[in-house]
Amino acid sequence: MANTLGKRYHCATCDAQVLVTKAGDGGLECDGQPMELMQPKPLPSSD
Amino acid sequence: MNLALLLDMAADGLGDRVAFGARDSGLTYERLRSLSASAAAVLGRAGSATLALADATGPAVPVGLFGAAPAGCTYAPLNYRLPPERLAALAARLDHPFVLAGRDTLAALRGSLAELTATDAWLGELGDQGTAEDTYPEDPTRPAVLLFTSGSTAEPKAALLDHDNLCSYVFNTNEFGSAGEDEAVLVAVPPFHVAGVAAILSACYVGRRIVPLPSFSPEDWLDTARREAVTHAFVVPTMLARIAAAAEADPDLRVPHLRSLAYGGARMPAPVLERALRVFPEAGFVNAYGLTETSSTVAVLGPDDHRQAATSEDPAVRRRLSSVGRPVGGIEVEVVTEDGSPATADRHGEIRLRGPQVSGAYVDQPSQVDGGGWLRTGDLGWVDEGGYLYVAGRADDVIIRGGENISPSEIEDALLRHPAVAQTAVVGLPDEEWGERIGAMVVLRPGVSTNGEELFRWAKERLGSLKAPEVVVLRSELPTTPTGKVLRRQVRTELNAG
Repeated sequence: MANTLGKRYHCATCDAQVLVTKAGDGGLECDGQPMELMQPKPLPSSD
Repeated sequence: MNLALLLDMAADGLGDRVAFGARDSGLTYERLRSLSASAAAVLGRAGSATLALADATGPAVPVGLFGAAPAGCTYAPLNYRLPPERLAALAARLDHPFVLAGRDTLAALRGSLAELTATDAWLGELGDQGTAEDTYPEDPTRPAVLLFTSGSTAEPKAALLDHDNLCSYVFNTNEFGSAGEDEAVLVAVPPFHVAGVAAILSACYVGRRIVPLPSFSPEDWLDTARREAVTHAFVVPTMLARIAAAAEADPDLRVPHLRSLAYGGARMPAPVLERALRVFPEAGFVNAYGLTETSSTVAVLGPDDHRQAATSEDPAVRRRLSSVGRPVGGIEVEVVTEDGSPATADRHGEIRLRGPQVSGAYVDQPSQVDGGGWLRTGDLGWVDEGGYLYVAGRADDVIIRGGENISPSEIEDALLRHPAVAQTAVVGLPDEEWGERIGAMVVLRPGVSTNGEELFRWAKERLGSLKAPEVVVLRSELPTTPTGKVLRRQVRTELNAG
């Protein structure tokens, strides 16, 4: 599973979050499981 | 973390998009990265610790900000509109500065500062002196940004923001690359305001083109917004008041592409907001509350909140139009009164903030953050049952009259509803009998007149005699900071002098 630039991934077990700052081919695992891609939250632009 | 990472991500993911300037000729993210790498190389060779920029918003702002970061230098935008001797005094407080100045500022500063470089010449000579592959420190030791506070106090304080503070702010309030290719943000706040720094960082991270407005006038703002098909903007309340008035007077000046209009930097008077909502019905309004010391925005009242509040029958929901919304991700808000109980609408407390974007550090001054990580803001307010934060004003500005605490904002809003009043600032003046009495400095709308007696009666009918201004002085303008914050201390001095 590739990692997409700027996306956040989440561990369902320990709630850790990862932000991908460099795209790559590797997979992200935490607590022995692949981390889940988080759906972006729509945030109002404040600046 | 290093701020340079934000630009790296944008250049990797959105390289060909225009980051700054006109749609057809602006700097792309890739070009911005290359110029920033060159700037970093120049700063490194010069042995500088600080990059000071005394200039209006132009390409040197993103290049300076993202060039200082990988060099481990602190970026210090200065108020270039200050008198030369005051500007030179601020520059003299900086650690090993490399000072860039615009043409006019440069000429004025010649006698007062030894080493100065013209911004445009510096930019023109940057070329390709660094490479995008240059490495930068992961954990820079110097702060990322130094901002002098606006000087409502006598001596401006030098507030410091770390790379981690600013990166946390950007990550918690934005989604990477989420802007459409057509989006553009009009940056009208000057670079030395924290909102001017935050605007550059957020826009690069989401991929929204920055359209600079180096010098504000309402006509220029509307004109530039229409010409550049601007979709997003941030303004301070005084700007919004003038923009709404100009657009209302001339429908040809409307801005059809504007989707999001954020405001902050000072308290928004309710009548100004109501007028703006009327004039720009298609825009989503965003109220952003923040401080220099918190890397800008810590609470947001979003477009849906505005719509719900404006149309609700429930007074508690309607009132939210005057709130600053709810905390952004990662920010904790606590508002307690002096005896430690939670503040309410009738009993305000001091707003305290905690979170990764909160700094509170200054040069040569103790941190404003306590052992538990809480920053005391000096702002008074309260939180409603829905978690919406209300800011009543600065603790120092509260008027105590006959034992009662009175917030100037309530009186200002009432006076602003008078058809002749364009702007006003209300302050407390010493009074032997009542402790304080109420004074108002008022700017009238063009072509109309009123007097102190009439305004006293107007306020008395609406708020009662305790809150009506006994002293009213008419002026052609209010004393403000360059970003439109009223200098209440000066208003007080002038009203005291009669």
